[in-house]
Amino acid sequence: MSYTQLTGTGRLADDLYLMAHHEVTGKPLLHPRAVGLGLAGALLAELVLAGRIQVGPGGVAVAGAARSGDALADSVLALVHGEGQRRPARDWLLFLARTAAADVARRLAESGYLTRVRRGWRGERWVPVDAECAFVPLARVKSALNPYRPLNVHGAALAGLAAACGLGSRLALYLPPKTGRALDETVRRLDPEMRELIAQTQAAVDSSLLSHRV
Amino acid sequence: MSIPRAGQRKPGRVSTALARDRLGVPAVVFFVLAGVAPLTVAAGVIPTAYQTTGLTGIPAAFIAVALILALFAVGYVAMTRHITNSGAFYAFVARGIGRVAGVAAALVALLSYTFLQVGLYGALGPTAENLAAAHLGVHAAWWRWALGAWAVITVLGLLRVDITGRVLGVLLSAEILVIVAEAVLGLAQPAGGGLSLVTLSPADLISAGFGTFGVLAVVAVLGFVGFEQAPVLAEEARNTRRTIPLATFFALGMIAIVYAGASWAMAAHNGTGHVVAAAAQQGPGLLFGLGGSGSLAQAAQWLFLTSLFAAALAFHNVVWRYMYALGRENVLPAALGRTGGNNIPKAASLAQSATGLAFILAYAAGGWPPMTDLFFWLGTTGGFGIIILLALTAVAVIAFFARDPRGEGPWPRLVAPALAAVLLVGIVVLAAAHYATLLGVPRGDSAAWALPASYAVVAAIGLGWGLVLKISRPQVYGAIGLGAHAVTGQLSPAGEEAR
Repeated sequence: MSYTQLTGTGRLADDLYLMAHHEVTGKPLLHPRAVGLGLAGALLAELVLAGRIQVGPGGVAVAGAARSGDALADSVLALVHGEGQRRPARDWLLFLARTAAADVARRLAESGYLTRVRRGWRGERWVPVDAECAFVPLARVKSALNPYRPLNVHGAALAGLAAACGLGSRLALYLPPKTGRALDETVRRLDPEMRELIAQTQAAVDSSLLSHRV
Repeated sequence: MSIPRAGQRKPGRVSTALARDRLGVPAVVFFVLAGVAPLTVAAGVIPTAYQTTGLTGIPAAFIAVALILALFAVGYVAMTRHITNSGAFYAFVARGIGRVAGVAAALVALLSYTFLQVGLYGALGPTAENLAAAHLGVHAAWWRWALGAWAVITVLGLLRVDITGRVLGVLLSAEILVIVAEAVLGLAQPAGGGLSLVTLSPADLISAGFGTFGVLAVVAVLGFVGFEQAPVLAEEARNTRRTIPLATFFALGMIAIVYAGASWAMAAHNGTGHVVAAAAQQGPGLLFGLGGSGSLAQAAQWLFLTSLFAAALAFHNVVWRYMYALGRENVLPAALGRTGGNNIPKAASLAQSATGLAFILAYAAGGWPPMTDLFFWLGTTGGFGIIILLALTAVAVIAFFARDPRGEGPWPRLVAPALAAVLLVGIVVLAAAHYATLLGVPRGDSAAWALPASYAVVAAIGLGWGLVLKISRPQVYGAIGLGAHAVTGQLSPAGEEAR
């Protein structure tokens, strides 16, 4: 497989992972807890987009339990399914955030985007196979923020989640000026469910920052 | 389609995993004590307070104020369970009294914590100056050392380093051990051979008229500042109902005993009649000299320096978190609520660094004495601001539960906060009337009215700005006081019922 063919897996959490890590070194660009919360939001968003869960004021509920073939998405759905009571989105974000980065990295590695590299005594780290593929999600966000195009739900949700976990300044670096405003307007065009999930992700990141845990 | 499973009582995987991640009482107590910085108070505030106020009732004041704060805390921790962003005073005021008042409280809080943080440079500088001159043979003006500390705090703020975990635990434990050891040694050798209890007696609180108590109370509250931070961790606490109240009351009791003991030992060791003169002569040495001039005193002096530094960093972090929360709500410029790489709120952190730099340079240029005019004046003024906020918060607790008791009994929602409010308002009035005594300046000195009046100014600005937001930006107005939850509009803690 030639690297130039790596144009993304089409999964939200995969795209967000690539955006949140350095394209060459693979180091996280955010605090690990913020990365985890952002990816947790993205994993839930994948299920929302597939119509498999619902996020509402009453919490997160299973909407369709059919298997998809993606082991990670299926395992998240099984967790929601297996939990006795409906839980607020915030609880799921905090729960999934604990392992989200490692889970998504493994999924990306299976798709051929990441590879494990030894760094001497400091252990191992996931590193992008091709630095270029880190910019594919950015291009997706850029096109989604164009107000003259029809709403691209994947790109808009990705933009919202990226800003929610603290990648706003990075987006501003690569995208045209006044991106903040375009981002707000694009996110506002999303379904209430997705907007709620993005807002909850943002609130979870902010509260860990304010309670000295990020 | 949800899948309810009636009758299932076993906590799920999610609950168990989340509970493991949450903080217990010891973690919250350590977090609170870090902000309190015991040695900074015992070696910095208490001797300077003896010196500038000339009053000897400080040990009794610590006990009296601990009781008032405990009364306050009853309603405070009760309301913590019912609101989000409960780490910030202005959130209580916004939800209890109203959002316009909330903006005023936010600015008063910001000014108070800024005074407290900036004031610490006034103790850091001279302490480093003396230590370096005595032990390292390095002679440099206090403000050079203060600028050095400022630079390190600015960098650590930008790297967003909190001194937490083990380092802080070791430092704190050492600080408390040193204070206790010095106090015990001092009490073992009382002046005149007999242990005098005069400074612990309530009568000493009003030795020079009723106003004395207002002055002493400000000093004592300054010592306790930081205890109010426990609810910041409410969303991270293992059990909101128990963890935060237990940690708050435990910290209050512990601080009261340590401070009252240390200040009593200073008075008893030097003689009640001589402690004021001894404080003027020895400064922080008043504590370090209690156990002689051996290795304990040496270690204590270095520990004092690290304690001051840790406190300055802790308050730096408190200030930028306040600014960040207010920036998120768009009450302050939104730039303060943005983060850069690694989720670091650069603008908010740099804004506080700029304030610190301005104060250090102004005091250096003016040639004003740092220990009294910077550390003690701004520190006590910060403490005074905290008392104003405590009084407002007590009123807010009553107003909040008056609309809906939310299952709280009459003691936490009405009686305790009402008693606390009356006492705290009384302290504010007495202290404002006797501010010159507090600062140790002649009556009519400009500092004695300008410092307390600064709160009236920012409160007026806050009220005006709150009204502007109410009229012109209803969406921003609606989210005032929600902090991190401004984006979700959530008023109560999520998943409260689930815990």
